[in-house]
Amino acid sequence: MQNSELMVAPLPPELAELRAHDGRIDVPRLLAAAAFGLAVEAQRRSWDAAAAVAGRFAWPLRILTRPAMALAQGSVAVARHHLDLDGWAARGLTQQRRAQEAAIRAVRALTAALAAAVLDGIDVDGVVARVDLDQVVARIDLDQIVDRINPNQIATRIDLDEIVDRVDVDAIAQRIDLDAIVQRVDLDAIVARVDIDAILARIDLAGLTEEVIDEVDLGEIIRESSSTMASETVDALRVQGMRVDGLVSRMVDRILQREGQRQTGPPLEELWP
Amino acid sequence: MTRDIRYVEARALQGHRAGFASRVVADVVDLGVAWLLGLSALLIAGVVRYLLTGPPLRLPVLPNWLDASLGAAIAVGYLTFSWSATGRSVGKQLAGLRVVDHAGRRLAVWRSCTRAVLYVLFPAGLLWVLASRRNASLQDLVVGTAVVYDWAYRPADEPPPTGDGRAPRPARSSTQA
Repeated sequence: MQNSELMVAPLPPELAELRAHDGRIDVPRLLAAAAFGLAVEAQRRSWDAAAAVAGRFAWPLRILTRPAMALAQGSVAVARHHLDLDGWAARGLTQQRRAQEAAIRAVRALTAALAAAVLDGIDVDGVVARVDLDQVVARIDLDQIVDRINPNQIATRIDLDEIVDRVDVDAIAQRIDLDAIVQRVDLDAIVARVDIDAILARIDLAGLTEEVIDEVDLGEIIRESSSTMASETVDALRVQGMRVDGLVSRMVDRILQREGQRQTGPPLEELWP
Repeated sequence: MTRDIRYVEARALQGHRAGFASRVVADVVDLGVAWLLGLSALLIAGVVRYLLTGPPLRLPVLPNWLDASLGAAIAVGYLTFSWSATGRSVGKQLAGLRVVDHAGRRLAVWRSCTRAVLYVLFPAGLLWVLASRRNASLQDLVVGTAVVYDWAYRPADEPPPTGDGRAPRPARSSTQA
């Protein structure tokens, strides 16, 4: 087969990655891949054949191999001693662990990349819209949850002082519309529920009245007020008499054309020197 | 026992000689009191006569001279007792007056009796108060008495206060003319 033919022969779509940038086919990679596929196929077929043989001759082989296994275990012990099998096994195990770790790293990276790709493609809103929350809630046993909650333990963990310090009571009070609250209070209904008779029945009105009367000397008040009224009336009459006295005296003095005022004041000895 | 006087002008005039109007008011009231006393005496006499002689119960009718004489006697007795006891009769108590002697003391019995007799015989002597510079009636001048404003109640022997709040003089020790 000519090299040029190889270059132009069409490739199936699954082998598109074997074509180089200039359109030519990458021959070494093609050959390597073909060899690997051949080997895999050969291994699969040999395993199949072995499995078929083992399935058919398993029971007699097991009986026949027991003495061989015993012999082999003995020879293995000898080999371990002379051929350093343990060293080789340790190296093998180390290599195996490295391979496992590399595989785990690759799987993790792959998982992360997959998860990111999946999450990018998921419409969260759409998912949430498809969730029937009522049904979810209906399946929750709230009683059981509440039974498992220990309020005392929660309360001991709450620092009430700190919370109260952060509360602005003034701002809350300013936001309360007291007038609206008071308007909604039905005072008549409250008063109607008060049993005034029962309250009055519990008050010792007679005793209370006696106590008040004992404290207040009513008789003394009446005596004082009546005597004060009488004396004030008499005083008013007397002062009117005084004024008329002065008026009459001045009139007479004017008629008699007297100069100066009358000598009515004390001392009385002036009358009889 | 004294009590405060609310009127300032009245406080200032306490102890001063009273004028004509107050004294007339007091004397009119005293005249009524004397008339009531006479009526009471007649009633008592009528009841006594009823008890002694039987019905009818009526007031005794006296001859005029006896009526006047008994009335005058009752008035003189009432005034004498009032002036000599406390210095004030019912009328003077009402008008806030008190009769005192020249030293401001309670009248002696003879002085108050003389004054009462003079008033009953010649009531018109009161008119001299109008003319007197010291508000003295004729009876005051004759007997040596004076009628002063004295609203406060006090024992009869305590002299009335002076108008300017000074302590009253105990006796005629002054030489003022």
